[in-house]
Amino acid sequence: MALHIRTPYLLLGLILLGTACESPQEDPLFLLKNPEETGLRFENRLQSTEEENILDYLYFYNGGGVAAGDLDNDGLVDLYFTGNQVPNKLFRNKGNFKFEDLTDSAGVSGDGGWSTGVTMADVNGDGLLDIYVCQVGKLGKTSGSNKLYINQGQFNFKESAAAYGLAYSGYSTHSVFFDYDRDGDLDLYLLNHNVKSPEVFAKAENRNIPDASGDKLYKNLLAEGKMGFEDVTVTSGIYSSILGFGLGVAAEDFNEDGWLDLYVSNDFTENDYLYLNQQDGTFKESLAEMISSTSRYSMGNDAADLNGDGLPEIFTTDMLPENPEIWMKSVGEDKAEIYQIKKQYNYQDQYVRNHLQVNLGNGKFAEVALFSGVHASDWSWSPLLFDMDNDGLKDIHVSNGIVKRPNDLDFIQYSQEADASQPLEELRKKQIELLPSLKIANFAWKQVGNLRFENQASSLGLGQETYSNGSTYADLDNDGDLDLVLNNLDQESYVYENRSERLGHTFASIALKQEGFNRQALGGRVQVFAGGKQWSQRVSTSRGFQSGPEAKLILGLGKVSAIDSVRVTWPNGDREIFLDMSLGKATVLEKGKGKATAPPRLETQAKEMISPQLVWSHQEKDEVDELKREYLAPKSFTRMGPAVAVGDVNADGLDDLYLGGAMDQAGSLYVQNSQGNFDQVDNPMFDLLAKAEDVAAAFADFNGDGFVDLFVGSAGNEYESGNLYNFDRIFFGNGKGEFQFSMNSLPPIGENTSCVAVHDIDQDGDLDLFVGSAVRSGDYGANPKSSLLINQGNGIFKDETYAWLGANFQGGMVNTAIWADLDGDGASSLLLSGDWQGIRVFDLKGKSLVETIPSGLEFSSGWINVLQVTDLNGDGLQDILVGNLGGNSKLKASKEKPIWLYHHDFDGNGQADPLIFHYMGEKLVPFGTRDDLIRQIPSLKKKHTSYAEYAKIGSPEDLFSKELLDQSKKLPAFEFHSGVYFQESKGKFSFVPFPDQAQWAPIFDISLGKTPGQVWLGGNFSGFRADLGKSLNLPPLSYLWKDGAWIPVPVQASVQGPLELRSLRPLRIAQQDWILGIRNGSTPVWIR
Amino acid sequence: MRLSRVLLLALSFLVIYSCQEKQEYSQVISDGTYFQRAQNRITEVIIHDIFSPPVAARIYSYSSLAAYEVVAATDPENYVSLMGQLNGSQPIDLPVPQNIYPPLASLAAYYHVGTALIFSEEKMHEHRDAVFAELKKKGIPEDIFEASVAYGQVIGERIRDYSKKDNYHQSRSFPKYSVSTIAGTWQPTPPAYMEAVEPHWNKIRPFVLDSAAQFKPGPPPAFSTDPNSEFFQRAKEVYEISQSMTSEQKDIANFWDCNPYKMNVKGHVMFATKKITPGGHWMGIASIASAAAGKDWKATVEALTLTAISLNEAFISCWDEKYRSKLVRPETFINQHIDENWVPLLQTPPFPEHTSGHSVASNAASYTLTQLFGDKLHLVDSTEVAYGLPVREFDSFSEAAEEAAISRFYGGIHYLPAIEEGGKQGKQVGELIWKKISTRPKK
Repeated sequence: MALHIRTPYLLLGLILLGTACESPQEDPLFLLKNPEETGLRFENRLQSTEEENILDYLYFYNGGGVAAGDLDNDGLVDLYFTGNQVPNKLFRNKGNFKFEDLTDSAGVSGDGGWSTGVTMADVNGDGLLDIYVCQVGKLGKTSGSNKLYINQGQFNFKESAAAYGLAYSGYSTHSVFFDYDRDGDLDLYLLNHNVKSPEVFAKAENRNIPDASGDKLYKNLLAEGKMGFEDVTVTSGIYSSILGFGLGVAAEDFNEDGWLDLYVSNDFTENDYLYLNQQDGTFKESLAEMISSTSRYSMGNDAADLNGDGLPEIFTTDMLPENPEIWMKSVGEDKAEIYQIKKQYNYQDQYVRNHLQVNLGNGKFAEVALFSGVHASDWSWSPLLFDMDNDGLKDIHVSNGIVKRPNDLDFIQYSQEADASQPLEELRKKQIELLPSLKIANFAWKQVGNLRFENQASSLGLGQETYSNGSTYADLDNDGDLDLVLNNLDQESYVYENRSERLGHTFASIALKQEGFNRQALGGRVQVFAGGKQWSQRVSTSRGFQSGPEAKLILGLGKVSAIDSVRVTWPNGDREIFLDMSLGKATVLEKGKGKATAPPRLETQAKEMISPQLVWSHQEKDEVDELKREYLAPKSFTRMGPAVAVGDVNADGLDDLYLGGAMDQAGSLYVQNSQGNFDQVDNPMFDLLAKAEDVAAAFADFNGDGFVDLFVGSAGNEYESGNLYNFDRIFFGNGKGEFQFSMNSLPPIGENTSCVAVHDIDQDGDLDLFVGSAVRSGDYGANPKSSLLINQGNGIFKDETYAWLGANFQGGMVNTAIWADLDGDGASSLLLSGDWQGIRVFDLKGKSLVETIPSGLEFSSGWINVLQVTDLNGDGLQDILVGNLGGNSKLKASKEKPIWLYHHDFDGNGQADPLIFHYMGEKLVPFGTRDDLIRQIPSLKKKHTSYAEYAKIGSPEDLFSKELLDQSKKLPAFEFHSGVYFQESKGKFSFVPFPDQAQWAPIFDISLGKTPGQVWLGGNFSGFRADLGKSLNLPPLSYLWKDGAWIPVPVQASVQGPLELRSLRPLRIAQQDWILGIRNGSTPVWIR
Repeated sequence: MRLSRVLLLALSFLVIYSCQEKQEYSQVISDGTYFQRAQNRITEVIIHDIFSPPVAARIYSYSSLAAYEVVAATDPENYVSLMGQLNGSQPIDLPVPQNIYPPLASLAAYYHVGTALIFSEEKMHEHRDAVFAELKKKGIPEDIFEASVAYGQVIGERIRDYSKKDNYHQSRSFPKYSVSTIAGTWQPTPPAYMEAVEPHWNKIRPFVLDSAAQFKPGPPPAFSTDPNSEFFQRAKEVYEISQSMTSEQKDIANFWDCNPYKMNVKGHVMFATKKITPGGHWMGIASIASAAAGKDWKATVEALTLTAISLNEAFISCWDEKYRSKLVRPETFINQHIDENWVPLLQTPPFPEHTSGHSVASNAASYTLTQLFGDKLHLVDSTEVAYGLPVREFDSFSEAAEEAAISRFYGGIHYLPAIEEGGKQGKQVGELIWKKISTRPKK
């Protein structure tokens, strides 16, 4: 029986071996077709010559594109490939995966020019698809200009670029046809690139200076009754400067206002552009307001809804290697100081990795490529967002590969010295030969749900090693799934047949049709509703890199049994609903045949919140450049404020506020009045102490006089331990909102305070303090002194840390501390945690606090910012809530593969070196680059003679002697997710992470809601080292834990993100409950 | 009788033979060739490992000092130890073993220290092993060989101990340079925007100077963007010479480029080209001059040592001023205020402008070489041939130094005042060295 089943597969496998011999899977989903059989023979063969090479033309290896479209309206999708040094080719689809080369008779070879991108669209509105080909203007002896092949029918074309005003001659990459002004005809955005020294930084403001070589916007005059296009670049708000190195463009509606916007990815230093259509013929570049970081060397892009909320995500490719060994010997993130320079020139945050921008629907995007596992696909070109197996989840295919890898560090640093005696020109030629080559497989990330992806290129049959540039998908055999076409360098192009039919998934195949000049309805959107879910896709014939799909849409629907309805948004904004849709059949939806629905209500920007007024802003100030002092520290501790305390200082029953200032900013006391407004109470002592940076504060009656007093803790990582400005302070209140500085209350400790926890530890009726410290100034990873301070009864405190916690107490890096009665015995334990720390529990045993490790917390170590204790699930046992680094980071920790900090003065120069090791595959390797390590520990350069040799290391022992490693402090992190350690039974905990979205950035504070089981979460952090990157992707969130699951609670905030929230405090104002969100370096945010 | 005659004959043969053998190996190292070869290798490794000019001068100094201390210890009649004369040094009070071959010991000391100060140790070992094998083949007896190398290493170790206290090691952990936004202060320059090199070099212990700030040069003209100001005019001079340069001036600029790390960038393609440092160039000249003057190995080592120390002091003095005045480079200023697209002929090195390192170093070195060889030595400078540049000839060290200094102006990387002030600074450094230390016994 078993044999019986296997035989056909075996046979198939054998057949497969004949056609696609590299395929490791016996019978994968995608079948690489044999060009001998398909007749699709196109090879973009490239030869480096004296005049045409990567040094004379920086995009020499960018390759060609491919476009799909039905050029003769016979129902079969035809293909057009562009070549660089070879002529372009046009193939007619004869059905059944047979193609015919009609290039010569059609007259569409590109006339000897160096062709790049290609787009098919009905430019003249006659119902026949035309072909627009981008070219390089001048390269060696080759000259060219963009070609517009107007379809005359029967595969006859007439090159008419000049007649239409589109014979641009420069350096064009790609184009997109879209009706931005809704006049019914297709306009053109032309994506160009410059060729002038991208390495010399210019002020970002220079993007306002238009140049002939910049991007262009052309308005089609068809609707005005004229033939041709008008260049409207200058009046349209489009940047057209020499800074642009455009490698990808997408037309989508990013802000859900019904009008087509644009996303442009730019290589090198220039930002990407996100142009919002202003609905008046102009665009407004709005990237910085909507997106916190982008790819640095942005290549191709694609935009489509990946999470089923109807809103388009954006995916951009970059060049970060995935293979650990390649990663360790390739150029990575900008060196930290270069990063700073670019910031000074006013460029956005950009990181060398793919970026996946998730549309939050409120005008903001959250970047989650690291969370999703799609950040690295090596030297990448064309991303395509489509459902590979029609299982209902869109996947991501990325083409990659470069013939000569310029990012090889050995090449950069060491290739030259052997032979410096030749003239530079000779050297350059030789350099090209020396550039290393490496063919790798493309990436095929299958979505496994919830924006999590796995690369399954190999098992899907897509794992051949190629240099692939342009790519597109198309249903070439009209069977309802998307086949894949790749334009490869120096080898035949690939066509993969998608054989998803075997999986039993359903699909919708929908083509739009309307009258007028834009009959295929480019720019229209289809939303399929079924089984309570939706699938959506926009019609665009430009996607990925230099390429474009057909206008017909295929949407995989998985196991859906019936479609409820389909909503079409037509390019002019009209909406229609189509019912009675049949599954699995090609359908044409014609405008006017559906049921018109009202256009969506004008998106009233989330009803203007009427929030309390509090005019205050944290003014962050750094004097020490931490990076210059601690080159390898993964995060900054100069920006941990502000301090906030909530309490009733004047006994009127209303919540009052203390807000601590940063360095040189005085603290402020605000007293709430009966109208719910806050009146500031001046205090000259606050002004005198303004030099200190306040990061922690607490209101409590310390001297037992019945009035609320104030503790303020200082830090900033600016001053050495023991410095006056690091001293914490106590102010005694008089119950009227006035506070008197009590100079002798606190011992002069002078560490960087991170937190304070107040509790009557010795049960003598007064309040004692645990004061935590996260970092010793200038020494990340060292053990700073946290203190237990015992109240002598009068608000005077004595340091009794070692008496209570033992002479050997090592607090470690403490970010958070809390007193809580975990075991319900009536006595509170001290809980503390921080970077490289688990949840540490110290139980009160008589006159001492003894550390215990409750079951289930053994592997809780992470980068924990906050702890909160409550009985979240109402089972009578206290649970521990943890705000941690989260899952959207390059650092991934697990019990099996922890992240390690090695802290030691490895080179004995008086400065300890914090080295982070992480697992890449099975190897435990430094997270920092070899260059970074050498900067910190120069002698390491002696260890390896080349980057290639360095890239082979597999453990810390390959870098340091056993003796040195034995001496160093080693701290693990096992768990970076934020979540809850539920106390299952007394003293036994088990971890449930917060939902995925809460893992998109570090959580800095957790506040408990009024409803039992409700939590408020806030965070984000911009102080990571450039190689980790800013993490600003978290809107304020709230969840309710109910019946063993998290239920999202809608959140309103007075300011839209990204909000760098440090604290969340419940506050009652004018009989209303609010969460006050305190931001670093900015104003408070009201949340509800 | 016959037996005794045979014996006598045999004996005399033996005597003659052993005399010959001794005779033979004593001349194995007579001139400075082996030291020049060792120095060439160090130079190559310095280039490979990418050491900046000040650090390179330090490497040359301690390596040659180690070799020199063997000279002084083994020929006390003619040479005086520098240990005890140099700042923070103690006389090396060690008996000289009887059975050593001094030049070999000196060479071994050189390798010992040189190898410790660079990164690519195997490249040094490879070279040393080949040289040692060659020397062994030439007949140095095994026991003498080993004793010499051992002694050289002991001296070398003393010099290493001395070097360890110059604050270099500690300085590796000093804060990196923070770029200031104040107008007129140094900014990183294209295309690599490297961070400023050795901002704390004035904290390195000098050999002779009483402090890094002993010879403060005149300050640069006050920064101004006013086209009539002196500063603007100085920048304009740099710009104008770049437009009107003769090919001879271009050749001069290129000849003295001495950029140990030039980054070539074309789109995504980057690669570094490396040349000898300014110090390396002058060490090459010292080596060529020693050979041209027919100096023996001892005088060669002396010349290399004093030149290296002169360069080292020059860089300490110069770097002190660089990070005092923190002056913006012509490239930055001209791009901002004169011509946005201007690129200097030479790539701007990554540290502040005032004073010109090449001017200070060249003048200090040339002063010392003139003291050693006189100013009338005809020089055929082939130092740069290995780096694709022609030979240049000079009739004196000072002529070479002047050319090296002005080359920075032609190269578009310095204003003239940095060259003028740098030249004076270098001479002062050279004079001080000859005033304060001596390698020859007072007669």
